[in-house]
Amino acid sequence: MKSACFAAGAIAILLAAAGCGPAPIDPQRQIGADPYLPPIHEYLLPPMHVAKVVGWNGATPTAAAGLKVQAFATGLANPRSLYVLPNGDVLVVETGGPPGPVSRPKEIVMNWVEKMAHSRTKPGQRILLFRDTKGNGVPDQKFVLLDHLNSPFGVVLVGNDLYVANTDAVIRFPYTTGQTQITAPGVKLCDLPGGPIDHHWTKSLTASPDGAQLYAGVGSNSNITENGIEAEVGRAAIWQIDRATGAHREYATGLRNPNGLQFEPQTHTLWAVINERDELGPDLVPDYLTSIRDGAFYGWPYSYYGQHIDPRVKPQRPDLVAKAIPPDYALSSHVAPLGLVFYTGTNLPEHYRGGAFVGEHGSWDRSVLNGYKIVYVPFADGRPSGPAEDVVTGFLIGGDKARGRPVGLAVDGQGALLIADDTGNSVWRVSAAQPTMAADR
Amino acid sequence: MQKGIAMQSINPRSTASLCGHPIHAMLVPVPVVCFTATLVSDIVYWRTAAMLWADISAWLLLIGLIVSLFAATAGVIDFFGDRRIRELRAAWIHALGNVAALVLSIFNALIHTRDAYTSVVPAGLILSALVVLILVVTGWNGWTMVYRHGVGVLHKGAP
Repeated sequence: MKSACFAAGAIAILLAAAGCGPAPIDPQRQIGADPYLPPIHEYLLPPMHVAKVVGWNGATPTAAAGLKVQAFATGLANPRSLYVLPNGDVLVVETGGPPGPVSRPKEIVMNWVEKMAHSRTKPGQRILLFRDTKGNGVPDQKFVLLDHLNSPFGVVLVGNDLYVANTDAVIRFPYTTGQTQITAPGVKLCDLPGGPIDHHWTKSLTASPDGAQLYAGVGSNSNITENGIEAEVGRAAIWQIDRATGAHREYATGLRNPNGLQFEPQTHTLWAVINERDELGPDLVPDYLTSIRDGAFYGWPYSYYGQHIDPRVKPQRPDLVAKAIPPDYALSSHVAPLGLVFYTGTNLPEHYRGGAFVGEHGSWDRSVLNGYKIVYVPFADGRPSGPAEDVVTGFLIGGDKARGRPVGLAVDGQGALLIADDTGNSVWRVSAAQPTMAADR
Repeated sequence: MQKGIAMQSINPRSTASLCGHPIHAMLVPVPVVCFTATLVSDIVYWRTAAMLWADISAWLLLIGLIVSLFAATAGVIDFFGDRRIRELRAAWIHALGNVAALVLSIFNALIHTRDAYTSVVPAGLILSALVVLILVVTGWNGWTMVYRHGVGVLHKGAP
């Protein structure tokens, strides 16, 4: 009996130790230019905590004062990104990533957790076009613009060329405004790092203001090099792709998972939102919004927020760590920002003009959920100028159930904010509660 | 017939047995080999930082743990199945040591779920080495039980 008591006692201690960890801090301490960075805490068992998906069932997200939310499209298959064409047609990218590889037992569990956190609907691999012929903001026509794509995410139109960033290549299609279906075969402009391992698969895409260059976000192939450093070639970077030749170079590196590539309208600087590393504690490492400097190195995998070394990476690279620059604006930890749009419209109240909206997909490895909302970061002279504020919430109910999860953002032809909700299989439209004179007449 | 032989045996009897063959003895080599090989692949990972070796350790720990749950169950049944086993000092060392090795290996498997270097160095590597040291002692005492005291060995009549 002694050994049985010993075993029971030891297992009780083990479980208690596994559950231990620092209590999450107030996320507000990690908003802005100089976030509080707690000491590293490595877990025995990471606190995998995803919200149970319950769906909207007729409910809608909650908007801040002065704004209203309506359903733009529902019944979709994992809509993740949005793009508005010059004539006001809205492209909705239905997409899903390739299945994760199983190189060790942990991945079996991780794949299962990820499945729990997403919609049960099989993701589409296509781009839908929505058209509002009545001018009331809600589309009345729907077309399949392109189908049978390979985990598409980024879309950008330059002149008569529509570029789609599949997970493994940027493809160019001829496109004339008003066209509702593309039958012409696409031409590959440039390969992107895809499989067989394709951990961060979403390839965000934008074009320079003059249209000469494309910029593609290429996320890392692991959390923190656990698939080997050789799997990271060309990854954790933003690529600059010459539109004429398809030649590319790494414009900025050390960006673990860059998404929402956008040019800031006033300074014409490239900005992006970055998903930082996991499993260093509930409040490490804060995800961030940053301007992207040509040739800059932002730390991943060797360090974070400048020279904070990550002990999980061997061999280390002190030469690169010395060069690492801290990002501009922390969004707090594990919020998973995937969408970014600068607001240049006039529909929304004056308060929201000139700043950036960020879509936060939400945390999975933090006991108190973080993210699962749209925040607004005010800008002045092309730089963030104040704390982020909640604009659209209600994706969570009761603290642990998710109706949806926001991803990509866009501003439609009338100046309303569109939100792709992959887990809720919807697109939401946020506009002024009281129409402004310009939008009304 | 089997039961009759066992009852007559002058040796301590294995309760969890299959046609007179102790199940614990059949299963226990699997975790012993897995946990020993874990130490080897941990050392190779520590020296090379090639992730493949850390992945191999993680699989070895999982397989070792699964099989050791069955081996331990059979061992506990044997331990409580015959008073003559519990009277052996070697049996106590073997049982308590293996429980400790099993608990440490559960910790070790959790450490090995971390990503990259700290999934092995230093905590994983230290636990793997401790487990192998314990297994040397418990293995030696296991052999004492069988080869000196004939635990689970069928033997008819006087020695």
